[in-house]
Amino acid sequence: MTTIRNKTAIAGIGQTEFSKDSGRSTLRMALEVILESLADAGLEPRDIDGIVRMSANDDVFEIDLLRSLDLPNLRFFAEIPHGGGAACGTIACATAAITAGMADVVVTFRSLNERSERRFGLSNLAGGLGGWMQYYLPHGLVTPAQWVAIFAQRYLYEFGHTTEEFGWVSVLCRKHAATNPHAMMYGRPITLEQHQASRWIAEPLRLLDCTLDTDGACAAIVVSAEKAKTLRATPVYIAAAAKGTGSRTEMMTSYQRASLVRLEEAEATARELYRVAEMTPRDIGMAQIYDHFTPFVLMALEAYGFAAPGEAPHLLREGRLELDGSMPMNTHGGHLGEGYLHGFGHIVEGVRQLRATAVNQVAGISNCIVTSGTGVPTSGLILSKEAY
Amino acid sequence: MQEEPRPYPQPDRDSAPFWEAQRRHELLFRRCNGCGAFRYPMTLLCLNCRSFDFEWAASAGRGIVFSYTVVHHQTHPAFSVPYTMLLVEMEEGPRVVAQLRAPDGTAVSIGMPVHVEWEDHPDQPLPVFVPGRL
Repeated sequence: MTTIRNKTAIAGIGQTEFSKDSGRSTLRMALEVILESLADAGLEPRDIDGIVRMSANDDVFEIDLLRSLDLPNLRFFAEIPHGGGAACGTIACATAAITAGMADVVVTFRSLNERSERRFGLSNLAGGLGGWMQYYLPHGLVTPAQWVAIFAQRYLYEFGHTTEEFGWVSVLCRKHAATNPHAMMYGRPITLEQHQASRWIAEPLRLLDCTLDTDGACAAIVVSAEKAKTLRATPVYIAAAAKGTGSRTEMMTSYQRASLVRLEEAEATARELYRVAEMTPRDIGMAQIYDHFTPFVLMALEAYGFAAPGEAPHLLREGRLELDGSMPMNTHGGHLGEGYLHGFGHIVEGVRQLRATAVNQVAGISNCIVTSGTGVPTSGLILSKEAY
Repeated sequence: MQEEPRPYPQPDRDSAPFWEAQRRHELLFRRCNGCGAFRYPMTLLCLNCRSFDFEWAASAGRGIVFSYTVVHHQTHPAFSVPYTMLLVEMEEGPRVVAQLRAPDGTAVSIGMPVHVEWEDHPDQPLPVFVPGRL
């Protein structure tokens, strides 16, 4: 059966600085990173014929880009829903369009003033009080940290872990961010003791289990593998791109499903990624795992097959996710250390690592798995250095 | 005590009876007329037998704590910290979110039996969970 394996590639990337206050609009930042990614690929705005954007909190629309960049050839555009679950899904959609012949050069991006303008981490009433949220918000379950805490408590209970296991995730990401000049937490590593001493947000989550609302933008250009070989930048091939869903799904509050310690969406995404890439978890050399809250990193490592249920903490304890480990994770510092661009920074870092241009460069890797938001319908990528 | 307004629900066509019943201090689920299974209020189509047909049925108000969080970081003026949010698995099956009402220092644990009591707020009475069997 024909699959999308290595039919497309990421040919250009762009990224602004990350900060608490960008000092400019999300449209301005989106334009900056799109122009940067085009220049990286050696393309012009008129070459763009597809745009895939993310929903929720990002208010830069196709029409803004059409007006600003003048895109006479735009013929494909789409929006992928479910917040951070969509990041890799934009690349999957771009791949679908390109392999179907509906576009040749597709721009994907995320641009947020999430710290200085609309903070996602505060009471999340933006969607109104209808829909599924009417059953939670009136009671006081109002923030992503609180929604995730319900799952996290269950993880501790079912597997007998302590909050130190969560802390190791944060310590690892902050260690990698500490040597990344681009990171919000550059030069600011933490110890497990500092994690354990940080204040409670919503038990069992502490401040240092939670990501950082961030201002910034990222972009990536997707083209066919053949076209990528003719462009300026070293192609990074898309060995697999997939989306996945689970049972009895709500946005971050899928509390009616049988198990609260399994990420069904990530399990479904994993099955499709490995099928398309013709790989198993043992073949993966590096992982950029979506890390808005530490407990979901552990559950994601389990869902993507890197550890049995409840056993992801061993990967951290044994140092296997360090830069010199068997599968380095969040080499840029992730959301917890570099900044929270809803999973787009993870894609850009995967590309840099496979181009061998990352600040925390790992030698000799041939592929990288990238995962998107947890607790929501999600998506993932396996990026490859070679079109095998 | 002066109460800051909570984020009150905006009932829709599917949920209006659920919220109206809460004004009478009743917690309703949908009970399937096809197979008798209880559905969470927002589930319209029975996941067991694919029937739309249902009747609203009042919960007995008993359940056990399935998970919980103690909220320490305040983000909304109506919710003074600390407070404890429970996810309770009701005897009927659905899991319900509401606050714990118990004396300060009450230890909460997964598996603990709780039951529903009602609190009247200006625009919408809401259930809370109290430790112990009804």
